[in-house]
Amino acid sequence: MAFLEVKNIQKSFGKTEVLKNIGFSLEKGEVLAIIGSSGSGKTTLLRCINFLETPQKGVISVGGDVLFDGDDPSKKKDNEIRKNRLHFGMVFQQFNLFPQYTVFENLILAPKLLAKEKIKQNGDYMGASTYKEAVELINREAEQLLKKVGLTEKRDEYPCNLSGGQQQRVAIARALALNPDVLCFDEPTSALDPELTGEVLNVIRGLKSSDSTMIVVTHEISFARDVADKVIFMADGVIEEEGTPQQVIENPQSPRTQAFLSRFNQYSD
Amino acid sequence: MDFWSITLQLFEGFKANCYLFGITLLGALPLGLIISFGSMSPFFPLKALCRTFVWIIRGTPLLLQLFVVYYIPPMITEGAFRIEDRMTAAVIAFIINYAAYFSEIYRGGIEGIPKGQYEAGYVLGMKKSQIFFKVVLLQVIKRIVAPMSNEIITLVKDTSLANFILVEDILKYANDFRVQGLIWPVFYTGAFFLLFCGLLTILFRFVERKLDFYKG
Ligand SMILES: Nc1ncnc2c1ncn2[C@@H]1O[C@H](COP(=O)(O)OP(=O)(O)O)[C@@H](O)[C@H]1O
Ligand SMILES: [Mg+2]
Repeated sequence: MAFLEVKNIQKSFGKTEVLKNIGFSLEKGEVLAIIGSSGSGKTTLLRCINFLETPQKGVISVGGDVLFDGDDPSKKKDNEIRKNRLHFGMVFQQFNLFPQYTVFENLILAPKLLAKEKIKQNGDYMGASTYKEAVELINREAEQLLKKVGLTEKRDEYPCNLSGGQQQRVAIARALALNPDVLCFDEPTSALDPELTGEVLNVIRGLKSSDSTMIVVTHEISFARDVADKVIFMADGVIEEEGTPQQVIENPQSPRTQAFLSRFNQYSD
Repeated sequence: MDFWSITLQLFEGFKANCYLFGITLLGALPLGLIISFGSMSPFFPLKALCRTFVWIIRGTPLLLQLFVVYYIPPMITEGAFRIEDRMTAAVIAFIINYAAYFSEIYRGGIEGIPKGQYEAGYVLGMKKSQIFFKVVLLQVIKRIVAPMSNEIITLVKDTSLANFILVEDILKYANDFRVQGLIWPVFYTGAFFLLFCGLLTILFRFVERKLDFYKG
């Protein structure tokens, strides 16, 4: 069984069926790129995986644990969902940083709240047994994450004083601060000026390692080709084609994939 | 009657205005919040009820509402029930009226927060209450300071309407002078309102500046 298993996801808004029986699996450390034209359901799929939307049907499991099962109402309780969300991280197209907190405060807000709760419950947060120890640990990790995304000197700035690219790098660090099993990106560079996309893509590229599993929805086809282990092309709520970047991007079989990619190739490369 | 003793007399009356102002704020600020939650409720009957209430209160004059609270109960109960204290009647009418206005300001502030702020909180494993208090609340406050200041400054001046149900406010005292043939204290009352509103303006500007540390 693969590390992340997503099976038979079906999601409708009213009468429109947006995801029609979507399924894929991902091994630990793999990067999945999802491409496809706008309206094909990519965002909705990521939102289902992060439990921001509840699919009508389907199963999501990580490391063998079933986190969601459309047929099991006990998996739909608020508290259960909140706990399961922590397996996933999400980086939004619009960053969604908290404007009233500094860069550093954005990183430590959620981990501190979680640490307080965990220590009260079972006296442990990632090896720390008191809240004070946990906060020290969280602060140290946040400093390291800032270094990783190259924003140490912006530690005490407010988001409004950062460029879009810097804000998105903060958002990535913020998601990483909770050590998610799978980190999802929804078009992380689509809201950026073209000259700022590179710095964000480089940060994502730098995260690739043996234990960081990532799903990246992107229109940056050459990025997908270079970084992804696996590529999915979505069209109208179904997976039209999937495989390695060589298979899907270099040598697509489906006419729809070919048509989609040829539109990109006109402009790039 | 010299200037200072007239000032002191008027100030006696102005105390009633200040009292009405303070109690109205104390009641209407929390009541407005409750009504705003009601008008955003997914439960349709509650939402319809709250929005109808707001529509009626904002759509009719405060002065008329004051008359309704004071004169209607004894009329329909044939004298069996009336609000004896005129100030109490004024307080009730003012709280209801201002709660309706405040609820719309709160609603605007809360609905103006982008959905993405909540979603960012959710994906970071935060609880609904944590998102409200740690993420959303300050942003809402920042958004509503300006419209709230306007409304609160209007309230200062509206307190003089209580004079119409014969609450003994500053205008009543001024009118007593007028009846004795002394007209200028009537106009002098303006200075009291001006001073009070001036102080409030300084206070609100201070709060706005405090919240100016971030944009967005
Ligand atoms: N909350 C919603 N309510 C109704 N329809 C929605 C909602 N979210 C998305 N959709 C519809 O689902 C389809 C897929 O949207 P989306 O997942 O955003 O696609 P993509 O990210 O690939 O552009 C679109 O037709 C969109 O209009
Ligand atoms: Mg999208």
